[in-house]
Amino acid sequence: MIDLSPQFNPAQQLVMDHALLDSGFSCVLQMPTGSGKTWMAREAIRRSVQCGFRAVYLSPLRALADELSSRWADEFRGTPVGVFTGDYGGTRKSHPVSYQDAQVLIMTPERLDACTRCWRGHWSWIPEVDWLVVDEIHLLGNRGRGARLEGAISRFRRLNPFCRVLALSATLGNREELADWLEGIEFQSDWRPVSLKWRIVHFRKAAEKPGLLAQELARTRDAGGQSLVFVQSRRRSEQLAAFLREQGLDALHHHAGLDHSRRRVVENAFRESSTRILVATGTLEMGLNLPVRQVVLYDTQGFDGTDFVPLAVNTVWQRAGRAGRPGLDPVGEALLIAPSWNSSAEHYPRGRFERIRSGLRDPQSLAEQILAEVHSGMARSSTQLHRVFDGSLAKLQGDRLPIDECIGEMLRAGMLAEDEQEQVNEGEERLRATPLGRIAIRHLLRPATILDLRRFLCSVTYFTHFDLLVAAACADDCEPVLSVDFEELDSLVERLKTIDSFLFEGPRETWHRRLPRHGKRLLSALKTAVVLLDWSRTGDLESVANEHCCYPFEILRLIESMDRLLMAAATIHKLSHRTDTAAPDCSVEPDYQDPGIGVLRQMIINGVNEPAAKLTLIDGIGAKWARKLVAAGITDLSSLAVSHPSWISTLGGVSEKRATTWVESAKSLATLNVRPYEHLLPSPIPVVPADFESGTDPYRLRRALELNVQAVESGVWAVSGGLEPHRVQGMRPDFTCDCQDHAKGNVCKHVLAVRLQCGDDSLQLPVQRLEKGASDEHLDLFYLWFERN
Amino acid sequence: MPEKPRQLETAHGIIRFPAYIPVTTFGSKYPLDALIQPYLPRLSQAVMVSHHYAKLMKQRPRLPLLIDSGGFATLFDGSEVFEHRGLGHLRVCLGNEVEVLTPLDVLEFQEEHADVAFTLDFPIPPKLPIAEAKRRQALTIANAVWAIQNRRRRDLRLFACIQAWSVESASLCAAELARHPFDGFAIGGLVPRARDVDLVLAIVAAVREKIDDRPLHVFGLGKPETTARLFNAGVDSVDSSSYVKLAADGCLWENTNFRLQDPSPADRLRLAIQNLATATRTALPLATQAF
Ligand SMILES: Nc1ncnc2c1ncn2[C@@H]1O[C@H](COP(=O)(O)OP(=O)(O)OP(=O)(O)O)[C@@H](O)[C@H]1O
Ligand SMILES: [Mg+2]
Repeated sequence: MIDLSPQFNPAQQLVMDHALLDSGFSCVLQMPTGSGKTWMAREAIRRSVQCGFRAVYLSPLRALADELSSRWADEFRGTPVGVFTGDYGGTRKSHPVSYQDAQVLIMTPERLDACTRCWRGHWSWIPEVDWLVVDEIHLLGNRGRGARLEGAISRFRRLNPFCRVLALSATLGNREELADWLEGIEFQSDWRPVSLKWRIVHFRKAAEKPGLLAQELARTRDAGGQSLVFVQSRRRSEQLAAFLREQGLDALHHHAGLDHSRRRVVENAFRESSTRILVATGTLEMGLNLPVRQVVLYDTQGFDGTDFVPLAVNTVWQRAGRAGRPGLDPVGEALLIAPSWNSSAEHYPRGRFERIRSGLRDPQSLAEQILAEVHSGMARSSTQLHRVFDGSLAKLQGDRLPIDECIGEMLRAGMLAEDEQEQVNEGEERLRATPLGRIAIRHLLRPATILDLRRFLCSVTYFTHFDLLVAAACADDCEPVLSVDFEELDSLVERLKTIDSFLFEGPRETWHRRLPRHGKRLLSALKTAVVLLDWSRTGDLESVANEHCCYPFEILRLIESMDRLLMAAATIHKLSHRTDTAAPDCSVEPDYQDPGIGVLRQMIINGVNEPAAKLTLIDGIGAKWARKLVAAGITDLSSLAVSHPSWISTLGGVSEKRATTWVESAKSLATLNVRPYEHLLPSPIPVVPADFESGTDPYRLRRALELNVQAVESGVWAVSGGLEPHRVQGMRPDFTCDCQDHAKGNVCKHVLAVRLQCGDDSLQLPVQRLEKGASDEHLDLFYLWFERN
Repeated sequence: MPEKPRQLETAHGIIRFPAYIPVTTFGSKYPLDALIQPYLPRLSQAVMVSHHYAKLMKQRPRLPLLIDSGGFATLFDGSEVFEHRGLGHLRVCLGNEVEVLTPLDVLEFQEEHADVAFTLDFPIPPKLPIAEAKRRQALTIANAVWAIQNRRRRDLRLFACIQAWSVESASLCAAELARHPFDGFAIGGLVPRARDVDLVLAIVAAVREKIDDRPLHVFGLGKPETTARLFNAGVDSVDSSSYVKLAADGCLWENTNFRLQDPSPADRLRLAIQNLATATRTALPLATQAF
């Protein structure tokens, strides 16, 4: 139950003293991690709920939303608390509390976005909202998610001008600017329930790092504290946790590859102190309250999608801020492990947070938001769109948004159309979203994804399941992007050789035109397609994940993405193969499925093979029955067509009458040609192995080309741009490096980089071979590995 | 002794005077009304709906609801006021459809939905021949008297409508109606006379004199500067739809030089909110004022 006469902590007391939450204005609160922001939001919500209003609380992660909703459901007794995330609604579980009934609505930003895009369906509750709490408002700066959050907030405020935004974050470099954007007030406090002490431990060689870490962790453990270690990759978290266990420290790893229940187990073990060390990736940086005395930033660099770059101050503080349990730890310790030759880590403790920049600067995101505005009816002309984006954060930050260019592009691409009947002003027409545009909106996909899929579907006469999966996996909307290790290439080559494809039959130039990706991103799409195909073959997440060095949870998320992408592809396919293109607005039934693509979608969402998936084309047969029939020996439509209904009914759970209709449908469907190319034979993908004769390892050489070398003193170089900075010493031809690769006896990329820098002739030839490019007739994975994205 | 606060108690809450009452509609004709409706409780004490649109109402606003008689349709082309057993009925042509409004239909509907009801009246435009004017006034009075005698719901606040063509005729009409226990009175037909503010104020004064301290409403005069003078002259409430009409055109009450080009639905919503706040003298947080 909520305490009705609560005690405020000093920071909260200031907020109350200034009556910030009663001012009628939106409010940006910047307070350190764990200082009671969420608690404050609950207080604000409690008050307005008492006056009969509703409140929305945005949480960046589904898991946090779930956790909060069950906590608040207890605390707000008598007030219905609803949770609205991708886990509920549509074909998934129904909402525990409906939109209509919920007085407190806990959502992810994506869900609020969806609500504002079809606001008419939500008009019964949107006007009653008094507070829109945006927790972790720095998400605005996130690539991809930021613009959607901004669009959702903006639309929501226009639909409900009385709603106040309560924006919360521990790390904002431009709090005032955000308050200006929200036309609100701002407040900042440094008060922490437990003070935070920063310390930097230096290492001279990268190989020293694990040992140093173990020492520090042991000291904290011996003093009765628990530690949370942040590292830059999942693999690193696993390896490091294993190493620490070998050293007698009880450590577990935690990262986004683990499914929710496993994560919960790990978190609880840590909460109950049965494990005293967690080695985690960024997953734990947001919102979870864990009993930590010491936070260690083991890596001060992170992968930003293309490169390893120094961690943002914001990120470091999001993580470090978790240190110190109120009442239990005298101080919290933030420990940085940094190289001795580089002082770039020294600025972190100062806490100069970065400015949060609007995601609308990305033209893709702008296009998506324009489409959403038009389709929602909230802005349907250039004038109106300009007015909308005049109020954007991007505009306030001085960015020029290419609105008219974007509209023009989408008109040409057929995502938007002009309504001839309705003129706004002279020469300015009302805009509307075309069926193609509506696909993007319905499935929350970027306009570019739809255009890429259309380009693919229109440019190929035939495509195999694999081909379509690769095309879909190339989309930015396909998440997560699986990483491909150099060591995996050989097995991927072997696997691809056995897969049929039309797409890769032609010369490189042709398929390159059809797929919008290069380099590692394309490799990742290939791997994704293989993973999903294997999943549909076996239906066994664990084994597929094991075989392809990824995590079951990643595959589950991929299935979610692919579900939307394939639904979109099916509609696009139908649209672009209609003969009456003269009537582009004639509506396509939303649930229309091209049988071929529909079958593929069934395969992917249910993990069943093609014949079994075809069984699901029959009304009343879902994935469960399809599996049951297959297990009983009815493995495809034609065998169902010749089965006896009475026998089927002995399987249980189906009447003979219903079984009869199944058999009848199977007879008519068995002749259906769901794969138009069945009479053609696609060929196996022509892949080539690396055929690199030079003695130098191409992988390391290519990486070496990307590194930065700086002479520190005579015979000593600092090499940066890789996983972490290293030091190379020596003279030609004898160089040593402090990296593990070198320690294993390899000529590491750092040494190669120094040799390149010194103009080593023996490397000229291999470099030329690398830069010459790939074979024309073959899919050359090694080339893709080296190719720039 | 401090004056007793003037107010009207209704089944859905108290209306404190003076009150500016926004008009709204239901159905699809004015989409802006559907947008602003959920916000009305934040901005006003009650809402006025015409009988015609009230029939399309699906969900009742969470405010005291005033329903007028729809007698305004007398002014439409092809409408006809006729007498039936001593009462006034109104035949209205809506396109091809002919609808007949009777005092009974109006009262029955109001008894079901309204907190405050207005009797079926027939406006008298400025240049109407005097004989027709007299006939309409007589029927307006007859309808009002019939309604007060036939009201069944005790908590339905029934206002008698006054129609007139001059100060004297207004005074006579008011005197006639004041003999009956109406909860209040409402003067109609002033919109086409609004330019002549002195006439309007004189009519108001004449009516006020006859109805002692019972509530007095004036239909359709919602310009903020006019309402202030009306309130001073003893009017308790006015209603108007100008806040949405102006907003639909991108205009603001408080700034006549302002005009928003091509306003979107959300722009109109904001303008309407701002107009209504001006009219009801509700303080809006600055952030809610967009323009
Ligand atoms: N005034 C208070 N009285 C009692 N408990 C409080 C109060 N304020 C905060 N807490 C408790 O302190 C803990 C941290 O608070 P909260 O989660 O609100 O912080 P936060 O600033 O949102 O943290 P984060 O940055 O992790 O999101 C919670 O367990 C919360 O219940
Ligand atoms: Mg919080």
